Amino acid sequence: MPRSARSDARLDTGLFVACLAVAAFAVILPPALRDPTAAALRRTLVAPLVALQRTAEHGRNALVMHDAIVRARDSLALLAQRGASLAAENDRLRELLGLAADLQWGFVSAEALKGRGPGEDYTVALSVGASAGVVPFSPLVAPEGLVGTVLSADPGMSLAILWAHPDFRASAMSADGAAFGIVKAHAGRGASRWLLELTGIPFRQQLRPGARILTSGLGGTYPRGIPIGTVIEERKTSEGYARSYLVRPAVSPAELSAVMVLLPPRVRAGAAGVWSASPPAESVARAGAGIRDSLRRGGTAGVTLVRPDSAATGAAGAPPAAPSAPSARPRPPADTGRPPGGR
Amino acid sequence: MARTLRSFLVFALLVSLHYGVRPLLPGRVLPDFLVIALLLAAVRLRPGASAVLGLLIGFTADALTPGAFGAAALAFTVVGFAASWLKAVFFADNAAINAVFFFAGAWVADVVFLLAARRLPLGEFVVQALVWSPLSAGLTAVVGVALLLVARPVLDAGGS
Repeated sequence: MPRSARSDARLDTGLFVACLAVAAFAVILPPALRDPTAAALRRTLVAPLVALQRTAEHGRNALVMHDAIVRARDSLALLAQRGASLAAENDRLRELLGLAADLQWGFVSAEALKGRGPGEDYTVALSVGASAGVVPFSPLVAPEGLVGTVLSADPGMSLAILWAHPDFRASAMSADGAAFGIVKAHAGRGASRWLLELTGIPFRQQLRPGARILTSGLGGTYPRGIPIGTVIEERKTSEGYARSYLVRPAVSPAELSAVMVLLPPRVRAGAAGVWSASPPAESVARAGAGIRDSLRRGGTAGVTLVRPDSAATGAAGAPPAAPSAPSARPRPPADTGRPPGGR
Repeated sequence: MARTLRSFLVFALLVSLHYGVRPLLPGRVLPDFLVIALLLAAVRLRPGASAVLGLLIGFTADALTPGAFGAAALAFTVVGFAASWLKAVFFADNAAINAVFFFAGAWVADVVFLLAARRLPLGEFVVQALVWSPLSAGLTAVVGVALLLVARPVLDAGGS
């Protein structure tokens, strides 16, 4: 072996032994010296690697916790959705409260329970029935306007059809009272199925898009002045003597959760000025007196408000001063669509 | 010079993988990138220098395991010196032999570490040394060979 090679081998062996000695010394170091040494290394030379390892461990924790985080996020989203629906329901009830303040008497509030089965798209079950004064053909209203009419009334619940039902009819007029016609569900397809159709408008009468359509009060089923919707456009029909219009309904069926059923005395007395009054937010402020009366008359299924000056009579929804009120006998929903005086 | 720089970069990359990627891997059987880095460097260094490099790498690992401070330094010193001394015998241009080289290096490093650390009771030490350490060493060998195949064009490229 050459001399330089032997020298290198001795050097290698020497370095190895020295390294072994240092490592062995580190192993036998007492904790009081070992820990500060390790800490000093972590804070200086090994610091970048420590940071790298910490980042990697955070990444691993994130991966491990991903599923749990997704589950928690989904739960929160579900809670948030419920919060939104609660807020919407709260707004809806506030609006109903405002309408109650405007109506003051002669109605019962009810929950509208939508069916899930086929053919139940246009009907709802109401949480009030004949025992609360509800009779067939009682109008169903919401703060936005007309919802439908009661089809049958059992003692504790009733069934109602919405304006989208093929059998729904209502006598209607333009807001200025110049044009009268019949409103029915539009027999379209897709989204247009959820529109209304105003038919029988005399040819000489023309309505502009955006014109408000209200109940006319003719026929006695619906009080005059309940909003039905707004005109979208005129329909092209083969009839040469009358016009037809597509109407955007005032009430969206998707928003129906609570409604009000107008009782026969209220129908006979009319609802003039109720929907043309102040907006719901202002009506809420005036709801106090009505609420007190409604609590006085409240049943198990709904709340009946009575006219303040008639509370002593004890007749739900019966106005005290209605000497010329017509009979409370239910009437068919189809109105004549013709104004008095042969218009 | 360029070859030395490339070797250093591969070495640094492997050390980074040990601290940046290994914590992300699941399970108890993990590849030891520090052993791979040390063995790849050891075949290019003299035994003395390899021992010093092993000592430094070991102290780096020990800094994060203060309860066994010095044990990794001892293990890597032994493995580095032995790998460099045996490179003429083992480190041939053959994937299988390289795999055995990586396997033996990782296993020996683990066993020496366990012995020096003296942290495990005898039963656990036997299980660790005869079950988990060989499994980890096997995975280290697989990863090491794969990395060697990838890095060989870089490491063996021309240049001083």
